[in-house]
Amino acid sequence: MANHQQEVDLTRIHYRCVVESLKALLTDPDGTVRHKTTEVLYILAGHNIGRDAFLEYGIILPLSNLFDDDSDIVRKNSHMAIEMCCETPMGAGGVVEAGLIPKLVDKLKTEVDEIKEYILDTLHYCMRVEQIQALQSGAMEVFTDLLNHSMKIVRAKAARDIMDLSVPLDGKNKACEVEALVPLVRLLKDDDAEVRCKSAGALMTITITTQGKYEAIKASAISNLVVLVNDENSEVRLNALKAITTLSEAPEGRAALLKHVELIQKRILEDKSEAVQRAAEIAVKVITWKP
Amino acid sequence: MTTVIPQQKSGTYTFASQPRAVPQRKKYRQDPALLQQNDPSAPYGNIMYDRRIVRGNTYAQHTLPANAQPDPIEVQRQQEARRRAVARKRAKDQLRPRSPEPVEGRKHIDVQTELYLEELSDRVEEADVQVQTDAFLDRPPTPLFVPAKTGKDIATQILEGELFDFDIEVKPILEVLVGKTVEQALLEVMEEEELANLRSQQRAFEELRNAELVETQRLEEQERRHREEKERRMMQQREVLKKERETADKIAARAFAQAYLADLVPSVFGTLNDNGYFYDPVERDVETGFMPWLMDEVEKQLGKSILSRTVLDSIIRDVVKERMAAYFELDHSVMDEERATETAQALVDQKLDGETQPTTESEKPAEETEAAEPVITTEEPETAGGEEEPKEEAEEPAAEPPAEGEEE
Repeated sequence: MANHQQEVDLTRIHYRCVVESLKALLTDPDGTVRHKTTEVLYILAGHNIGRDAFLEYGIILPLSNLFDDDSDIVRKNSHMAIEMCCETPMGAGGVVEAGLIPKLVDKLKTEVDEIKEYILDTLHYCMRVEQIQALQSGAMEVFTDLLNHSMKIVRAKAARDIMDLSVPLDGKNKACEVEALVPLVRLLKDDDAEVRCKSAGALMTITITTQGKYEAIKASAISNLVVLVNDENSEVRLNALKAITTLSEAPEGRAALLKHVELIQKRILEDKSEAVQRAAEIAVKVITWKP
Repeated sequence: MTTVIPQQKSGTYTFASQPRAVPQRKKYRQDPALLQQNDPSAPYGNIMYDRRIVRGNTYAQHTLPANAQPDPIEVQRQQEARRRAVARKRAKDQLRPRSPEPVEGRKHIDVQTELYLEELSDRVEEADVQVQTDAFLDRPPTPLFVPAKTGKDIATQILEGELFDFDIEVKPILEVLVGKTVEQALLEVMEEEELANLRSQQRAFEELRNAELVETQRLEEQERRHREEKERRMMQQREVLKKERETADKIAARAFAQAYLADLVPSVFGTLNDNGYFYDPVERDVETGFMPWLMDEVEKQLGKSILSRTVLDSIIRDVVKERMAAYFELDHSVMDEERATETAQALVDQKLDGETQPTTESEKPAEETEAAEPVITTEEPETAGGEEEPKEEAEEPAAEPPAEGEEE
């Protein structure tokens, strides 16, 4: 109800004064005021106009100062608001420009679990835009640590963030350096589908480099990935197949995977998802390639 | 408003100004900046309600002086007036009739003569009364103003079913309420659904995107590796080709060198032979040793013969010279004689003819030829002598070589 009300009001009220007064209220000494202000900003960031207003009036920086607030709820709301804001590429660009990535990575080490989720999301969207800053602030190590977290959502998001971070070549090398592959392979056997899916995704990006391939094979990724080919979740299957494809570019990988080719070939014919079928085709092609 | 006071040189002073309405007395003082802009349309007030205008009798008014501070002159005057009043009072006191002075030894005392005596004492009757103010109480709220009741009291009563039928009337309202609520709820649910759909679409998209991304990167890697492999193979091939070429060159060079050198040995030997490096030692010895010595000896012999000839030549020359000198002298003497005779004859002739000069000229060439003839004749014996000598000399060297040959 509040959502609706806000939406209707926003289109009517001239948002400028709203946003400016909210900005002023962010530094109010009273905790409740800040709490409500951040909540309003969160709802605001859910709308397109609101996000534009965020960027136009430079709310991101003052909001990010609230990351150090004493009150949990204030921090949570401010993280949620920032996360909402950077779901669009422009918003993510704004957050990156404000130099928030190193701050967020630091917060990831010390924050409460609930808030870690939002920070991981924020970083995920930011890394779609730019990865170098995150690499430089040592995000890879932090994500690798979070792979052992107790909450499955945190594990899944950490794996997804590792995948994002490994897109550039530096990221892949960093991942091998930090030995992220061993926990990722372990997570392939996790109970939660989301976790499996994202860790397979991380593996598939890291194993593009030769070093990544060999490390993964050493960590016995192949057997786990083969199991995942028959998983219920289509995304898991897709990522597993992609990882298998990259691993089969290495001769050892190809030798090991030749035994499982029929399994994959079955997938081409009977899988429901078109993407999985295609991926299976490509995988088979690569495995059976002769030089 | 006010006109300018005309400056007059005489001592009189005049003042004139336009009559104007008196502006209303302002409650608050004006901003001095605004004072400049006194517009003519300033609100003027009604003089009937102006507090500054004196009303009523004016002959009994105490007006304060214009300025708050009393004029010092006024102050002084008042003080003087006060002093005068005091003095007057004192004077009046003195003039007041008093009772005569008491007789000596007696004193006047005041005595009460009223009906009832009063106790006169210095002690003043005191009564202590305490008053304590209460602590400040909160101002009690003003009691509600209940206006006095006016009018009459009337009551009415609406019985059931008189005004309207609740059930019928409430239906549309209920419908609207429920409808709106349900609509709102539906909207919210739809929104949530939409959001969920969007999210799942986003997820699907992300999946595909990730997969595609990985695919592109993998293909890039593959490309890169293949290219590198190709490069390496090509490098290898190039190396191999280079090596082959080198070996071919080497073989060709070897063959050529062999062919070249095959001919070398005989040609070398031939050249050496031609250049006389292979010699018969005896022959060489003969040539190198014997022949020069032979030649030297021959030279010596020839030298000797030449020497002898030159010696002979010189001897002959000397002899000839001497003879020539002798003959010359002879000639000269003869010629002198002839000349003397000729001159004598000439003198004689001159004396005789003195005209036939050409005869002397023809005689001179005749003399000369005569002179030449003896010379020639002198030379002939020389040559004759010379012919004899070479014959002798030729015999000598012919005799010598055989002698030399025998010596060897």
